[in-house]
Amino acid sequence: MKGRPERSGPDGPSSRDEGAGSGPRDAGSRPGSADSGPGDADTGPGDAAIGPGIAAPAGARAAPGHLITALTGLREPIVVILLIIGFMSWISGKPLDGLLIFLVGLSLAWDTGRRARQASPAGASSLQAGGPPAPIAAGQAGVRQAGPRWRRPALLTAGLAAGVLYAVVVGSFTRYSWPATVPVAVLGAIVVAIGWRGPRHTRPAPPRPPAIGLALWAAVFVAACLWELWSLLEQPNLATSSYTHPTISALTDPVLSTWAGRSVVLAGWLGLGWFLVER
Amino acid sequence: MNSHDVTVLGYLAVLLAGIVLQLLATRTRAPIPPLGKVLAWAMGTRTRRVGILVAWAWVGLHFFAR
Repeated sequence: MKGRPERSGPDGPSSRDEGAGSGPRDAGSRPGSADSGPGDADTGPGDAAIGPGIAAPAGARAAPGHLITALTGLREPIVVILLIIGFMSWISGKPLDGLLIFLVGLSLAWDTGRRARQASPAGASSLQAGGPPAPIAAGQAGVRQAGPRWRRPALLTAGLAAGVLYAVVVGSFTRYSWPATVPVAVLGAIVVAIGWRGPRHTRPAPPRPPAIGLALWAAVFVAACLWELWSLLEQPNLATSSYTHPTISALTDPVLSTWAGRSVVLAGWLGLGWFLVER
Repeated sequence: MNSHDVTVLGYLAVLLAGIVLQLLATRTRAPIPPLGKVLAWAMGTRTRRVGILVAWAWVGLHFFAR
């Protein structure tokens, strides 16, 4: 992470189980989700299963205001991580990044806290004891089978063509220019909005991976972040890159200085985004 | 070997560790999940899903946007 361098250097009823609104669609997790299992320590406060149709308990009305709600959401580690990223982006010369990430982090904290405070023990326990992951909704499978056989390949082809066109066109713009900023920011906002509504497909909830495996992947991720942070702090200042202690951004500058390089990286970014949205 | 080289080697070591983990996950019976399964599991709750997607969006903004 570093600042912009100075030139010196198909669904059934449960498929939207985590809809943004309140009411039946405001469930915290997919029924039967591995995340909502009893004693699952990584189930965040806002992700404690909230069953469809569970009315807000009286305790939620009696609770203090929005600030307390947001503070409740801060118990979720990823919210804190987002706020830190937003802050670091801001002070390293990327105020737009920082502001957007910070706003999303605050919104997520409030939303997480709100849902946690609406959860009733009875409703949570009824879902936490939900047993095995829910199967793929029959309605969804039926819709897929009933659709024209050419539809899915055609959509896939159209999506790939649009992605390639996006990568080539946006990659032709200079980095940090407004023509590059707008399409990246708009696409990012759309994808986050889609993710906020809930998973696009109803699938069996994946089982929780072995703890040792999760720990190893987390160690790799944390090591990468710490190494990047160390390089960032070794720069002359947060907005000036250093040859001696290059950040990933500095190392990728030569690649991203060319149209082809930008387009390839954008294509990879799009592909990763598509992969994540489809989870 | 200067500081630049050490820094780059650090990144390469982390990348190599990730590749080794992925190979262990897919080629052996070690109790290590592939990265895709970790991400799929992590996307199972709204908070984590939004957080991961925001991190993805941030990468694009960081490298291309003002």
